[in-house]
Amino acid sequence: MKMKKILSTLALTVVLSVALTSCATSTTPTTAGTTKVAGDATTVATTKAAGESTKAAKDIYIPVISKGLQHQFWQVVKKGAEDAAAKYGVKITFEGPSSESEIAAQVTMLDSAIAKKPDAICLAALSTDSVMDQLNKCLASKIPVIGFDSGVPGAPAGSIYANASTDNNAAGALAATSMYPAIQSMVKAATVAAPVRIAVLSQDATSESVKGRTKGFIDKMLELVKADGIASVAVIGHDMYKNDVAEKSAAVVIDVSVSATTAAADLATSASALLNKNPIAIYGSNESAANGILDGSNEGANLGKIVAVGFDAGIRQKTAVRAGYFLGSITQDPYNIGYKAVELAYQAIRGQKVANVDTGAKFYTKANIDDPSIKDLVYD
Amino acid sequence: MNLGSKNGTGAVTIKRSNKKVNQRLYAFLALVVIYIFFCFLGRNFFGIETALNILDASNYIGFMAIGVTFVIISGGIDLSLGTVAMCAAMVGGVAFRKWGLPFWVALILVLITGALFGLFNGILVAKLKLPAFIATLGTMMISIGASSIISNVQTMNFPARTEASGGWFKDVFSKLQLSNGMIIPTGAILLLVVLLVANVILTKTKIGRYTFAIGSNEEAARLSGVDVVFWKTIPYVISGFCAGLAGISFASTYTTILPGAGQGFELDAIAACFIGGASTTGGSGSVYGTIIGVFIMSCLRVGLPSMDLQPHYQKLLTGIVVIVAVLIDMSQQKKR
Repeated sequence: MKMKKILSTLALTVVLSVALTSCATSTTPTTAGTTKVAGDATTVATTKAAGESTKAAKDIYIPVISKGLQHQFWQVVKKGAEDAAAKYGVKITFEGPSSESEIAAQVTMLDSAIAKKPDAICLAALSTDSVMDQLNKCLASKIPVIGFDSGVPGAPAGSIYANASTDNNAAGALAATSMYPAIQSMVKAATVAAPVRIAVLSQDATSESVKGRTKGFIDKMLELVKADGIASVAVIGHDMYKNDVAEKSAAVVIDVSVSATTAAADLATSASALLNKNPIAIYGSNESAANGILDGSNEGANLGKIVAVGFDAGIRQKTAVRAGYFLGSITQDPYNIGYKAVELAYQAIRGQKVANVDTGAKFYTKANIDDPSIKDLVYD
Repeated sequence: MNLGSKNGTGAVTIKRSNKKVNQRLYAFLALVVIYIFFCFLGRNFFGIETALNILDASNYIGFMAIGVTFVIISGGIDLSLGTVAMCAAMVGGVAFRKWGLPFWVALILVLITGALFGLFNGILVAKLKLPAFIATLGTMMISIGASSIISNVQTMNFPARTEASGGWFKDVFSKLQLSNGMIIPTGAILLLVVLLVANVILTKTKIGRYTFAIGSNEEAARLSGVDVVFWKTIPYVISGFCAGLAGISFASTYTTILPGAGQGFELDAIAACFIGGASTTGGSGSVYGTIIGVFIMSCLRVGLPSMDLQPHYQKLLTGIVVIVAVLIDMSQQKKR
């Protein structure tokens, strides 16, 4: 009996002390939350327009819910968001599921965020369909939602006030136009008897951003190749992208592979499979896919003459670009994405009119990677 | 500290009925303490909205946990639960979106898929004598692959509220909002019904008795004339069927089913069983205890973000809760 008592007391103590210790750092925001409600009641005199608020900036709370935290990309988004929060003097929390396939975890996060009665929410939804109810709830309770990164495509009308995001189709197309000069001569020489392959590696066929970058690349590549007089171009591989030209009757084959899961090992396997078919070029449509190509090619050293173009940055991809294994990569502006998201949220809370912001994309190579205009965009 | 000792004296009076009640009582008190704790420290935690969020986060794990309780009591383990649940949901999604079957048929297919995976596990374990750990590990991988193959590695979305066909789905299996704004947690009610039925099966029927008997001592059960091969298969089928229910529940709450998803769900469900007092060696456990375990975990999952803590703290804390719960359990076993 005694043992039992001791153990059960121990159990509760451990749980509580761990929770308390970790909570010690966040007591300030909690109190800020309570005072906020009181302050709100006294300041609200008339009916407010959606989201408009006159409360002091320090009482404003904006949860920023990203798609993940694991990539460097998100850490830079976070930095941008924090800097914007510091500039406007508002309080934010930056959270995200531990991997980009954890839809349920993200929905739970969003639920918790809404329950905290925030002034606005910044959201990069893993799946819009999964958060329909939540978005409608925000709409009903007039909580402005700002989409960032890939945003929240297909959200209920009026729930998303604005997006801070990269135009993914345009970014994918930029990858194609940047890659094309390096392979143009080979493409022009291609015939049905001696076809050339262009490989595309995509992390998934579910996320809007990855789909857009993959589709943008393929469409632009088709356009460029056809403009050079090659009529028979086959897109093979994944159902979502393939066209009705048979591989056997094509001079240029665009081979699209979607990894079995988003796990690094699966991406590496898919990359190796693509590379084994001797393509003249390969494109990876996000950081994971680019890393998959590096994993499947001994960090790029085995790519040989294959023209490789990646997406986003990260220390590995940058090294490959510097070494010349990658022709270059497309970078978004993660810092700007995070910064603009919080800025738009703040403006929406203040009742200002907000509009979508294209945060831009650039192609970086060995030559310009250290230029001031690029350096800040390519994170480690 | 006070709570701890009060808890102890309360336990003495109940002890005579069932020593397991103790464990459940501890678990329940822990749940109450955690909830109250968050009410004080979380931002706007206390309230109906958060309570509904906790129910949402509990439902799908709850179904899985009820199912796996049967398996654990029978002395086995089911590692395939989570991925089977998602694979079953995927089959339903594909049946509805791609094959164009009526939505209710798709839902029945989800349950059948779950139960078939369970039957497969059961045959491997009971008939072919494969260790449950290995059999269900294999099934886990099979179900991951199967869901990716059947969906062609694409996401499937279950019907939204506004969709003409199957628009009732969320109302029935997740939440129903009445015209006066009141929300009825239909998913939680369904979980409650399944919980009560599962408890009756476990405590009042032959299935339950034989499950306990096999879990306590399989050889003794066999010698006293129990058809062990048959009765050992049943818990796996129940577990698979419950995984199907979990798949439906997940789809109703989260809408989007990813190919090859679900890994890790089974660990939450299994952990809930142990928090709720199931024994690692089989022969004891209860679905009520399990459900309390589920709620403890979802309370942490919903509560920690309300304190502005990242959700990975939840995993860490759940880990501690599981270890401590089983330590308490063992200390009780030793005294008998």
